[in-house]
Order: sequence, then C-alpha cells, then structure tokens
Amino acid sequence: MENTPPSFDSILNATVGMLRTTWKTQVCLFLQADDGGLLRVRAADGIPFDQLSSLSVAPEGPLARCFSRNEVIELDDSASTGALAACLKPHPTKDEKFILAPVSGETRVLGILVLGPFSKKEKHLPQEAELRSAGALCAVLSAHCRLYQWMANFMPQLNQDLRTPLTAVQGSIGMVLGGMFGQVGSDVKEMLEMAQKGCERTVRAIEEYINTQNPK
Amino acid sequence: MKVLVAEDDPDIQVILKMVLTRLGKCDVSITFQGDQVFPMAKADPPGLILLDVMLPEMSGFDICKALKADPETRSIPVIFLTARSMPAEIQEAMALGANGYLAKPFDPMTLISQINEILMPLGISLGA
Repeated sequence: MENTPPSFDSILNATVGMLRTTWKTQVCLFLQADDGGLLRVRAADGIPFDQLSSLSVAPEGPLARCFSRNEVIELDDSASTGALAACLKPHPTKDEKFILAPVSGETRVLGILVLGPFSKKEKHLPQEAELRSAGALCAVLSAHCRLYQWMANFMPQLNQDLRTPLTAVQGSIGMVLGGMFGQVGSDVKEMLEMAQKGCERTVRAIEEYINTQNPK
Repeated sequence: MKVLVAEDDPDIQVILKMVLTRLGKCDVSITFQGDQVFPMAKADPPGLILLDVMLPEMSGFDICKALKADPETRSIPVIFLTARSMPAEIQEAMALGANGYLAKPFDPMTLISQINEILMPLGISLGA
C-alpha cells in the first residue's frame, strides 16, 4: 500500500489535540482569520467537528482584543463571544473560563487559539509565554499549509504556461532542422541547434522543479 | 488514417497538422474547442484522437471520460498530448482509459514514432 503523508489538516488537528492534552482541557480550537477578516475553525479537538462546520466568528469584543492587539485574554463571559459561545455551550459553566491566545505570524496575528474550560480560580496570565508558544506552533504549521497549497496550485500552472510556448518554439526549430522545408546552411543550422539546446535546458529545469515538489 | 486533434494553441495546431500530414500521412481534423470533440468523433469516427488537457468548454479528461463511456467511440485510441505533465495528471489520464500520454514540448521529427510505439499493441500505425 502506498504510504501517503498526512495532510496539513490532520497535522493541525493533531497539534490542537496535543495542546489540549498538555493543558489538560476539554476543548482546544484554532480559529484562523480568513481573507474577509472572519475567524473560522481551522482545527479543533474536544468538540465534534459537525458542531463547528458552520462556525465563523466576527472579531469583536474579547476576540478583537486578542486578535487585533495580540493579547492573551482570560475569557470568563462566554455570552460576549457570540457564535463561539454557542459552539462551546456544552462546556462552560458559571465558574469556568476560556483562554484566548493569539496565533502570531511574523508580521500579523493569523488567528486565535482557544483553550478551556478552566476554573476561574486558576491564573493563566503568568503562563503567557507558554500560551504564546502554543499559538506560534499553530502559526508555523498554518504558514506551511498555505505555502503547500499555493505550491500545489502554482506548479501545474507554471508547468503548463512554460511548456506550451516552448512547444511552438521547439516544434518549429525541430521541423526546420529535420529538413521538412529543405536543407539549411551550416551557419543557420548551428544557430538553430543552439536555440534547440536552450529549449531542452529549459525543459530539464522545469522537470527538476517538478521533481523537487514530487520526490519519488 | 483519420486523426482528430483537439488543441487550442494556434501555433501548435499548425505544427501538428504539418507533422501528421507530411510525416504521418494522416487526414487531420482539428478543433480548438473541447465540447466539439465528442460530437465530431461520433459523426465521423477517426482512427486516433490526440487530446490536449486544457481546452475551452470541456477539459481533455472529461472528453476522454465521455469517449470511453460510449460504445460507439470506446475503441478509438486516445493519446493525450499536453503540457499538463504532473505525475498526478498522467495517472488521472491513464485511469480514464487513455492509450498514452505524451508531454509537450515534443520533438516533431520523432512524434510519429512515439505515437506508433503507443499504438503498437493495437496493431495500427501512422505513416504507412
């Protein structure tokens, strides 16, 4: 059987699962900001995914503070989180709170890590560095995921866009060199052979790029 | 032999027509639109179809699927001649029942022999 590598989705889900275990919580969510600024569930552990599939969270209130100001927040007012509260409803009680940790990329906050519920008596802000590290782990994986998806779309297109014009160039040269239009002078032949070698080098370069992306 | 070529690049159309006519001694029909291929093949079945993958209106993969699903066109050999040559794309084409897959750019002087190599198990060849 072919040994296929795990998808980035499964890696991210395994990561939030690991964070949930490390922090001994019922739920760990990674909410990632999409291009429209909404926070959507990118990975989750502790809640069935069908409960989360339609969840999107406008960054308002405590989420905005975490997302826009890059702050770690102790969230003890579940009502203020809107859709997120509805999603987490089975879990929080009056005496519980959630922790929101920013998932920070190099230049901006990419999303929010939600961990909980914790007892309100527990103090987590002293552990801010550890919470930020957990967020950073998700950020690195998320960046890899985006790069991988971009490459997966970009490489076939690049392959096609370079090979198509090369076909016309190499085909025309090949027909002339092959004598389909009569014999050519030795100077012309030498020049066309140089052009043909240039095409062949370009094709080899394209193949090397593709093989780099698809190692055997 | 009648060959139906589905290719949307006008320069490559010229090259293919010249190679197939002069070197392959074929009677060549060319269309640049994907959705024309299946009706053309039904109306006047060719001995071979050369298919690009990226075509307007209908992809080469969908055309191949339609050809291989119809009893009247199933036996027409289909060879992909395309710049979409990522390993997954080649696998997909062959899984659809294509007889072969040739990547662009191609050498026009050896194209006929490459096609004949693919057609050899079927006992047919171009250029005869």
